[in-house]
Amino acid sequence: MLSTHLGPSGDLAPWAVWLAVALAAASLGFLFVEMRRRERAGALIAGTGLLAVAALLAAVLRPARVSARESVVGARVVVLADASRSMALEQDDGRRWQARDRAIAAIARSAPNVRLSVLGFGSGPPAPLPLSPDGDAGELTTRAPHSALGAAIRALSSSAEERPAAVVVVSDGRLDDPPEDASDATLEALGAALHVPIDAIATTRDAPADASVRRVSAAGAAVAHVPLPLTVDVGCAGGLACDEIAVTARELRDDGPPTLLASGVAHVKDGKASLDLTITLERAGARIVEVAIAPVSGDRIPENDRRLVTFDVARERVRVLHVAGRPTNDVRALRQWLKSDASVDVVAFFILRTQADDVRASQNELALIPFPVDELFSEHLPSFDAIVLQDFDAQPYGLEKYLPNLERYVRGGGGLVMVGGQNSFVAGGYAGTPLAAVLPVDLDGSAGATSADTSPFVPEWTTEGRTAPLLAPLRDAIGDDLPQMPGANVLGELRPGAVALWSHPSRTTKSGRKMPVLAIGEEGDGRTVALGVDGAWVLEFSSLGSRTAGRGHGALWDGLLGWLMRDPRFEPAQVEIAGGCTAGLPSTLRVRTLPVEATSGDQKLVLDITRIDEKAPPVHVETSRPADASSLELPLPALPAGGYVARLRVPGGATTRYDFACEAGGDEWADSRPDIARLERLARASGGSFVLAPDAANLPLPKPTVVSAERHVTPLAPPWMWTLAATALLGVHWVARRRSGLA
Amino acid sequence: MRARSLFPLAMALATAVWLLLPRPARAFGEAGAFDPRVLLTGSQTGPARATAPARWSWELVQRTSAPARLRPSVVRADEPAIVDAPFLYWSGDSEVAPLTSAEVSGLRRFFALGGVLLVDDAAPGDRGEASAFGRSARREIARVLVDSTPVPIGPDHVVFRTFYLLRRAEGRIEGPPTLEAIVRGGQAQVIFSEHDLGGALARSASGMWERPVIPGGDFQRERAIRLAVNIAMYVLCSNYKDDQVHAPFLMRRRALSGP
Repeated sequence: MLSTHLGPSGDLAPWAVWLAVALAAASLGFLFVEMRRRERAGALIAGTGLLAVAALLAAVLRPARVSARESVVGARVVVLADASRSMALEQDDGRRWQARDRAIAAIARSAPNVRLSVLGFGSGPPAPLPLSPDGDAGELTTRAPHSALGAAIRALSSSAEERPAAVVVVSDGRLDDPPEDASDATLEALGAALHVPIDAIATTRDAPADASVRRVSAAGAAVAHVPLPLTVDVGCAGGLACDEIAVTARELRDDGPPTLLASGVAHVKDGKASLDLTITLERAGARIVEVAIAPVSGDRIPENDRRLVTFDVARERVRVLHVAGRPTNDVRALRQWLKSDASVDVVAFFILRTQADDVRASQNELALIPFPVDELFSEHLPSFDAIVLQDFDAQPYGLEKYLPNLERYVRGGGGLVMVGGQNSFVAGGYAGTPLAAVLPVDLDGSAGATSADTSPFVPEWTTEGRTAPLLAPLRDAIGDDLPQMPGANVLGELRPGAVALWSHPSRTTKSGRKMPVLAIGEEGDGRTVALGVDGAWVLEFSSLGSRTAGRGHGALWDGLLGWLMRDPRFEPAQVEIAGGCTAGLPSTLRVRTLPVEATSGDQKLVLDITRIDEKAPPVHVETSRPADASSLELPLPALPAGGYVARLRVPGGATTRYDFACEAGGDEWADSRPDIARLERLARASGGSFVLAPDAANLPLPKPTVVSAERHVTPLAPPWMWTLAATALLGVHWVARRRSGLA
Repeated sequence: MRARSLFPLAMALATAVWLLLPRPARAFGEAGAFDPRVLLTGSQTGPARATAPARWSWELVQRTSAPARLRPSVVRADEPAIVDAPFLYWSGDSEVAPLTSAEVSGLRRFFALGGVLLVDDAAPGDRGEASAFGRSARREIARVLVDSTPVPIGPDHVVFRTFYLLRRAEGRIEGPPTLEAIVRGGQAQVIFSEHDLGGALARSASGMWERPVIPGGDFQRERAIRLAVNIAMYVLCSNYKDDQVHAPFLMRRRALSGP
């Protein structure tokens, strides 16, 4: 619609208009001062002066009639709404996300002309956020595991979209970025990134009644068998009475109840306490440690009373116990390989003399020491990362009574290799023992069972063996040709979940399958290898060994020991939780597998997830992996808070294990107190305003902009007429002044 | 009468039990047993003491848990089979001909894999002076392992405590108290003996020792056999007895057995 109004001539700059008006006002002011001292002809002088000044102003402004088609465009205001998990916490008037959404709705109502863009910030760039202050969108808008406001503002500043006229942050103030101790300069820099003021709205100022484990920090990386200092920060807010709080650190284990690693008492002062604990993790790999406080009466958020911390425990050195029943070339080769690796710490015990041997010397003339079977297989057992039983008969040396210990050791995460020989497997009396239950193959314990096949043979690669990453170094070293072996221990069927990598060319198991010669398997948290030959040394000493500089033997053991120790190089797949796991929310497991031959078609991947800390039904997922895909993502259902083990089975390879934790709130719930001071500082540093959520409607927002689409300017009179009128009226005013005696 | 009638039944029962027990595989693992392989070079047709290697294996089997080949093999330095096992026994009592390039190459391949060679001088002087064999063998080994010099190894070396605690080296003759060795990568790869170790081990088919041991007689022969056992154990276990776990025991034993 066309609107009409008066205005100055279009060739005048706004400052010139204002200058003319100011000069006219000043002239009138001088005239007024002058008239106060005048007693005669004052009205005449004032009247003519007023008209002269008005005419003069009109001569400068040259009024015109402006007809224009105009529209009002509201300023673009970006609302950055906190979409992190902490917004799901309760406060007095509901949950924080409800206060957040109500505040945004109030802004929208109070400034209808403002163009609001509501974006949620959490991890990474902000994204549009659905609002539902009284609905059920809370779960959807409080999923982010972080609250990175800084990252969101930086993403806005680098965006190609229209730059906002203002930014409004709606949050509880408990942010990851900027951190709590951010300087004013940091906050100013954040505002300067957008060149607009940042207004802040706090959802609440009141801290809930809550005792929690606010932070668990470790001094350095976790190394197996090495004490690791932890600092546990405990908080107590909202008027809870908690002077002393008991703190425990336990390792969650899937082979039994959690193991207490350390405990202590935190003395709370001014609502917080810090406690130093030292834990020692014996097993390498991903280990989940629960750090928990004792329940405090009146605590409204019990979920954050425990944190589940996943440590990726490294090995300073791999500790291997090498036990051999008699010295042979195979024992020699393995020992030399173990000793040649600086990262392996070997404790070796070889049986050099049996009761039947006639040494023809007194004990003092012998360099023999007792085999400390009791010490090794009881108190020292957990200190080893792997145990190699090579050609070793359990019966004569009293190992039988410690076989249950060995079974527990494996299930608890230890590695075990049984290497063949005339005293191994069935001949060693292991059939039907607890140790046999963790080997990857069955052992025939029946009367008259055959323990070995003494016919020389060349092992065959199985399909799985050809693609297994742990044998890739061996295949690289020697190719497809395996050397002839002098004989084999008779091994039975593969146990469930085990994989045969080499098989016997002619001998079969009871089911008719080819007898495994090299097999791997997993039991509980541990892994085992069965190598049913004692001729691996010919990979080193033979014409094949000479051609390959003896690298085959080391390559074989590098793969076997590396696989036992879960070296990522030898895993059939790499598994990780994409973006972490939050209890009660669906998550995604990202799987990267080795490339497969295009002709092999799609692969079936089988994923089983079991809970560590409590009994719960396992989650079973099966999916197909396209042959040309190197990675894929498996959606997981919502899981309750706890520690989990994911076991992924890839065809042609053993199981890949991945331990992870799901927390109810994670870092976002660890400190439930709102931090309005940080929001106030941010607003102040950027020139914005700060209000609490109930006062959101009072937040000053930028005015809208008027845009003219069509404009016609018609002068009221020609310029010469304005000039003539001004001259004439100035003349009249001059005459009036002269008559009354003024200059 | 009653006992006599029960005897067949008991025998049958024992036989049945024996048949039902898991069968040990005696031949299984023989390939990995200690084999004092005789090394032949040039015109050599056999070791200086033909029966010594077999006796060495026999003594090892009788005294220790280590398996050994009672019929040791023979290999020429230029044969591909030289790399088929980690030990070679080279003895002689006369000068050896210079090694051919094929023999040098074969021995180099053997050492490259970590093999151990015992050079046993079968004709040393009474005080252990090297014979023509000893001198020529050292000369040829120097061609194989260039820039490697033999060093004396005495009771402090692990060879002297791999099974027996030994104070010195002895063979058919008493000779010097030490052996000499070329040490590569921390391992004694070539061991030189000027004691005619094979002479102390050699035993005729009639069961008689072939050579007298001087000056110590049977006691010295026993110590020579122990040295041979230790060398075999060194081949099979390398430096196992250097492991820290053995140290306190062995130091205590040495102290107990006196100087």
